[in-house]
Parts: sequence; structure tokens; C-alpha cells
Amino acid sequence: MSNPTFSVLGLFDSAQQLMDAIPPVKARVPGRLEAYTPYPIHGIDEALGLRKSPVGGMVFVMGLIGAISALVFELWTEGIDYPMLTAGKPIFSWQAFVPVMFEVMVLFACFTSGLGMLFLLNRLPFFRHPMLRSRSMPLITRDKFALAVEADGLELDVAACTAALRAAGAHSIEVLEQPAPLGPVSPNFLMRVAAGVGISCLLAGYLTYWGVKVFPVAIPMMHMLDQPRLDPQSADSFFKDDFGMRMPVAGTVARGQLPYTIKNQEDAAVLGNPLPRTASVLKQGRQAFMTYCSVCHGALGDGTPSLTGAYGAKPANLMSEKFRNYPDGMIYHVIMMGKNAMPSYAAELSEDERWAVVNYVRALQRAMNAKDSDIPKETSK
Amino acid sequence: MSSDAVSLPKQLLPEILRTPPVLTGSVSPGSLDDQVHAPIERKPPRAWFVAFSVTSVFALIGIICIGYTVAVGIGVWGNNVPVAWAFDIINFVFWIGIGHAGTLISAILLLFRAPWRNAISRFAEAMTIFAVMCAGIFPVIHTGRPWLAFWLFPYPNQRGIWPNFRSPLIWDVFAVSTYFSVSLLFWYLGLVPDFASLRDRTKSKIRKFFYAALCIGWRGSASHWRHYERAYLIIAGIATGLVLSVHSVVSFDFAVALVPGWHMTIFPPYFVTGAIFAGFAMVVMAMVVVRTTMGLENLITMYHLEVMNKIILTCSCLMGYAYMMEGWTAWYSMNKYVHHTFWAYITGTYGWAGWLTIACNIIIPQLFWVRRFRRSYPMMILVAISVTIGMWFERFVIIVSSLHEDYMPSAWYVYKPTIIDLGILVGSFGLFFTMVLLFARVLPVIATTEMKSSLPGAQPRHAGGAHE
Repeated sequence: MSNPTFSVLGLFDSAQQLMDAIPPVKARVPGRLEAYTPYPIHGIDEALGLRKSPVGGMVFVMGLIGAISALVFELWTEGIDYPMLTAGKPIFSWQAFVPVMFEVMVLFACFTSGLGMLFLLNRLPFFRHPMLRSRSMPLITRDKFALAVEADGLELDVAACTAALRAAGAHSIEVLEQPAPLGPVSPNFLMRVAAGVGISCLLAGYLTYWGVKVFPVAIPMMHMLDQPRLDPQSADSFFKDDFGMRMPVAGTVARGQLPYTIKNQEDAAVLGNPLPRTASVLKQGRQAFMTYCSVCHGALGDGTPSLTGAYGAKPANLMSEKFRNYPDGMIYHVIMMGKNAMPSYAAELSEDERWAVVNYVRALQRAMNAKDSDIPKETSK
Repeated sequence: MSSDAVSLPKQLLPEILRTPPVLTGSVSPGSLDDQVHAPIERKPPRAWFVAFSVTSVFALIGIICIGYTVAVGIGVWGNNVPVAWAFDIINFVFWIGIGHAGTLISAILLLFRAPWRNAISRFAEAMTIFAVMCAGIFPVIHTGRPWLAFWLFPYPNQRGIWPNFRSPLIWDVFAVSTYFSVSLLFWYLGLVPDFASLRDRTKSKIRKFFYAALCIGWRGSASHWRHYERAYLIIAGIATGLVLSVHSVVSFDFAVALVPGWHMTIFPPYFVTGAIFAGFAMVVMAMVVVRTTMGLENLITMYHLEVMNKIILTCSCLMGYAYMMEGWTAWYSMNKYVHHTFWAYITGTYGWAGWLTIACNIIIPQLFWVRRFRRSYPMMILVAISVTIGMWFERFVIIVSSLHEDYMPSAWYVYKPTIIDLGILVGSFGLFFTMVLLFARVLPVIATTEMKSSLPGAQPRHAGGAHE
């Protein structure tokens, strides 16, 4: 059984003949009229009754979206996500963001125009379109002009269409059939698609591995790593003892590394706390206490650790009478040197942080042993 | 895409003002196809192979020099602080500039409906794309680690940082990559209907497959043309703004910096003019060769060349004005550093380059005031080559001369390029002309569809009213 008719078309030798033929053919036969031409013909849109192209509106909207999204992105990256001060300019210096905004707008607008026209409005590619198989196509892309009556869902009266086109001066009348519908997908085809997808996945996986793991450390990409530099703990034959790392010169003290000479806790009582008890010091002390001390001594310093089960030792209750009567220096000494099961925290905490922790412990002690008289008069009714 | 703009009746104009026909002899749509597509369908002549071997050897020299640079490091180039930018940025600005003529011809002259653009637009657009490709190489290899050049783009990364959008160098990344993609798209859209006619002409199965894929099943229906024309015109309109913005952004690389001789508000228009100037010189040179070797004398006529030569003359005068304005601004600044830099342009270590720039860009193109010279091949080639040299040295003067002696005399430095610098420059010319030669072999060098639509009698008589 032959397929239903798709269109009947006839050729003309000039754009003028084509234009002249449109009104009479339109009057004589139903169906959608379409012209095929080697180049755009001016005025044919009106003659065929085609709507104005919506490309302009699409471009406007997408250009606007491009501009706004570029500007918002720039403001967000430079002002919020990673604030970057340049030459003392304000954080939201929109003027500097205009060039990129303009370029992104142009990019969005042009690609909307070009690709939107080809793929969305013209619905290309359509390789199974009957016109591409027709005898007339090579003539149309060269220098002939075709007028076609297309079925567009209707039944075409081939004889009437042929007569109408011929009466309007067309030659080489051609009748095109609807393309045969695509058959069901064969298992063989599905297998091939699956194999293709599988191979693509393997290839993509290997390329990603190569790009991430192999390529960046190939020569010359690894030249940056190859530096005349001594890594910590590495040997070096330059020195007689072959040690790459050197001891400090005798009799010198590195900045911030003043040696701690006090041996027992009682002697440390003479050390004075250099830090004032201000809100910022207490805040620093609290941060350090919560990080390093609270795990064993408890968040309130009362010796109830959050690690009870697996932990045999009994951490000190810093809120007890004994510790409340300690001078600051003796608490400082324990942080420096450790006591019983507690190791030294000298490496974890800086000089200032140690004293800030002492101050924070003092504040905790005061808060945990509050008296009735501490309540302000106005609220103690 | 048409030439039938409203014009005065010819007999009312004196002969000198009458627009001559844009093509000679009788040309029909069919004969146009045969003429333009014939070179693609036959074997290239021996001269093509000779030219191709020469240009690809030059390109190979460039590739070897780039490979050496990447393997050893950019210390093999002559630039060093304070002349941190030299050949790489000169070549970048030079090639980007060459590209600008193509977009001007294809976009701005389309909007002005200049009928002579049709014959040369395809070739000029191709030159734009190849020139921007050549230009793109230089900043990428100047990063020293070209495999990390993608860091220039803003993508979420493990470093947690973004590029600095206040930096003209990032503006450049966006401007140049947008320029390249939009030029490529514009060129491709123009080629789609031509690919369709190549698909229907060719006898070879393989070629037919490729052309069919490239034209994505174009069938020339009126309902497609209506979207196509609109989209093409819109892109032309936007590309006009784009082409002006790209070289302005390139000039911001300099104008936003505080180096004496760079920090000037005249830079954007001055750079755009210079770009069009250099680009047209390159197009004229290529057109002379294409016209004579590919037998297209009837389509690319002496009139086309003369019009382009007039544009070169105009740009030359504008450049002269810009140079004088720059000098005047420098004097008026009452700043001794700026005075020193400008004096150094013509009397310093690189004073010869300053004079060469003035001679090549301002003095030699004045030959085109004479009509006979505008229509003579030797004169055209002479001026085109001199403009190309002059515009390259103009960027040399701006970049090297300004940098080598700025605020701190203790940091002054005399820059000398190395053989590697020169090799990469030669290589970029080789690459450019190799691609031009390949293009002339595989694609139609004239936009046949556009030409067909503007041939005499191509449009129906009453269509004039369809225009605004």
C-alpha cells in the first residue's frame, strides 16, 4: 500500500514567477502552501501568510537573562562568597562588572538567535523530510523556486493540486509521499546501543582518570614539584651529620619559643596572669577550653567527661575547693607540663591561649559557685 | 541580505558619485554556484601545494618553538620585569585586531546594507576566526602552564576562590572567547545554505554525507528563511556591539593600568580603529591573491578593492589623529613621567620603532588619495604590507617602549627578543595562512546564497515595499 501524499510541488524559474503563482494556487486548492527557494525572497512571508518570526523576543529575553545572571554571579563571587578587595574599591563595584556582563549578554543573545533559529524554530535536523529525497531539491538549492501544496493533516487531491500549479505556470510537477513510519526497534539495534553506551562510559572513565591522575604529573607538568628544597626530616649530604634539619644555633631563642624552666607546680604559683579578664579574652579561652579541655574535664569543668565509658582515669573537678584556691600560675603549669594521666598541652595551645583558658576556668568557677548575693537586688523579689 | 536600498536616480548624480555595479559580466545563480564551487570540486593546482608547504613549514617552526617554551619554561623568551609583556601580548593584540575587519564587513556593513560586502564577507569572516585562533595561543602560552589555563574561567573549584572580575585580564578572557564563539556561529549560519547546495551538487558519497550533516538537513523552505533572515540580522546587530567591545576590552588591559603611556582614555576608540585598519590591510592582501588565482575577477571586482582601500585611507587618517591626540594628551598631562615615555617613543632606545610606525601607518597609506594607486596591485600590496608591519610595531611601541622605562630608573631594562620569540611569531603567520589555504580548498570562499539574493532580478519587483 502506498503512503499518503505529503505534498505536490512545482518548479518556477524566477522569484517573480513564484510570487505571481502564490495567489491563484492559494485560491484554488486547500492545504498549506510552502515555498522552497535558494535564497530568501522578500515579501514572500506576507504572500504565504507566515507569521513574523519570534526570534527577536527570544533574543531579548535570553540577553536579559544573560546580563542579569552574569552581574548577579559577579556580585556574589566578588562580594559575598569570596570577598576580594581590589585597589580599595568598594565590594559591590558594579562598574567593573559591566564588561563581563556585556559579553555574557552577547553570548546568550547570539546563541539563542542562531541555535534557537536552527533547532527550535526550524526544527532541524529533519533528515527524513520528504523534500530532501525529492528530484527537485538539487535544483532548488541551485537556482529554481518551488511552490508546494502540503497536506498538513488533510487529504490532498493530487490531480487538483497538479492542475492548479500547472495553471499558475509551474513545471516539473512532483508528488511526494509521507515518509514511512519508523519500524519497531530491533533487539540487535538495542544491543548495539547498549554496547556503544558501555564503551563510551569506559572511555570517558579512562580519560577522566588520565586527565586527573596521569596528565597533571607528567613532564613538564610536574616541573613545579621538582624544586631544590629540603623537606622536613629528609637527609642532606651537604652537612657533615647528613641531617637536612638543623638545630638552633647555641645561645639563641626563636621568637615565641622562650623555654619553660619551672619544674614543680608549687614554684609556678609566682607566675602572674598577663591577660586581663575581658570579654574577648574569655571568648578566646572558651574556644580553646571547649576544643581541648572539655573532652575530659567536661563542658562545665566539673570533671564529668563526655568520654566516660572507654576512659579509665578520673579527670579533676576544676570546680572543687582545691582548684578554686589554686593561684593562676599553678593551673598554667598543669597546662604546660601535664599532671598524672594528663599530658602536656603546650604544643596545642599558644602562650596567650593558655592564659585565656586559665581566665575562662576562673569564670566557670565563679559561675558554678554563685551565691544568693550575686543576684542583682532589683530581680531578687 | 539585499542591496536594493533606496537610492537616487542614477542620472541625477555626477559620474564620480555613481555607485558602480558590484559585479561585472552576466552572473546567474547557477553560474555563480559553478564558479564558486568549482575549485572545491577539483584537485588543487600545483601553486596551492607549494604555498601550503611553505606556510605549514612556518607553522611547524612555531609549534616547535611553543613546545620548547612549554617544556623549558617561558624564561626562553626575552621578556623580563619590567618588560613583562612583549612579543606574546604584541602578537595577541595584533591578531585580535586582524580579526576585526571580518566582523566589520560581515556585521556592520550588513546593517548599512553595503552591496559590496557580499562578495568578500565569507572570506573576511574566515580570516576573523583564524586570526582569533592565532591570537588565543599567545595569552595561553604566556601563562607558562597552558594546561592550567582553564583556571581563568569561573568554575567551582577545590581552592574555593573565583577569578577577579575587576581585572581587565578576566574581561579579556570573556571578550575574546565570546568573540570567537559568536564569529564561529555567525560564519556557520552563513554557511548552512551553502552547505545545502554543496550537498546537492557533489557526486562523492563521502562529501555528500559530511555536507548533509553540516547543513543539518537545510531545505530552503520559506518558513525557515523567515526565521533565518531575522536571526542573521539580529546576530549582525549584536556582533556590531561585540566587535567594538572586544578591542575596547583589549585596550583596557593597558588603559586601566597606571603605566605612563598606557593610562589614557583615548585607548578604546584608538585600538578599535587600529584593529579595523590592520584587518582591512590583511583582507585586501588576501583578496588580491584570491581574485587572481581562483578566477573570481568578475565577482570580486576592482571596485571592491578600491572601496576597501578607501577604508584603509580613512583609518590611516584616524590613526594619525589618534597619534597626535595621544601626544597632545601626554603634553597636557604636565606629568614628567608621561612626558618622558612619549619622548622615548621617538627618541629612546626604540625610537626607530616609533618612526617606523608613523611611516607605515600614516605616511605610506596617503598614496591612496590617488585613484590610480587605489586601483593598482603593486600599490595595494605595498600599502597592505606596510600597514601590517606598522600596526605590529605600533603595539611594540605601546607595550615595550612604555614598559622599558617607567617610574623607577633603577629598574629600566632594554628588551631584546630571542630567536624563540621570533619563531613563535613566524609560526603564527604560518598557522594563519595554512588555515586560510585549507579554507579556500574545502569551503566556498564566496557566500553564494547571499550573492544570489542580491543579483539583479533576484527579488520580485514589488518587494521593494517590504523594506523599511
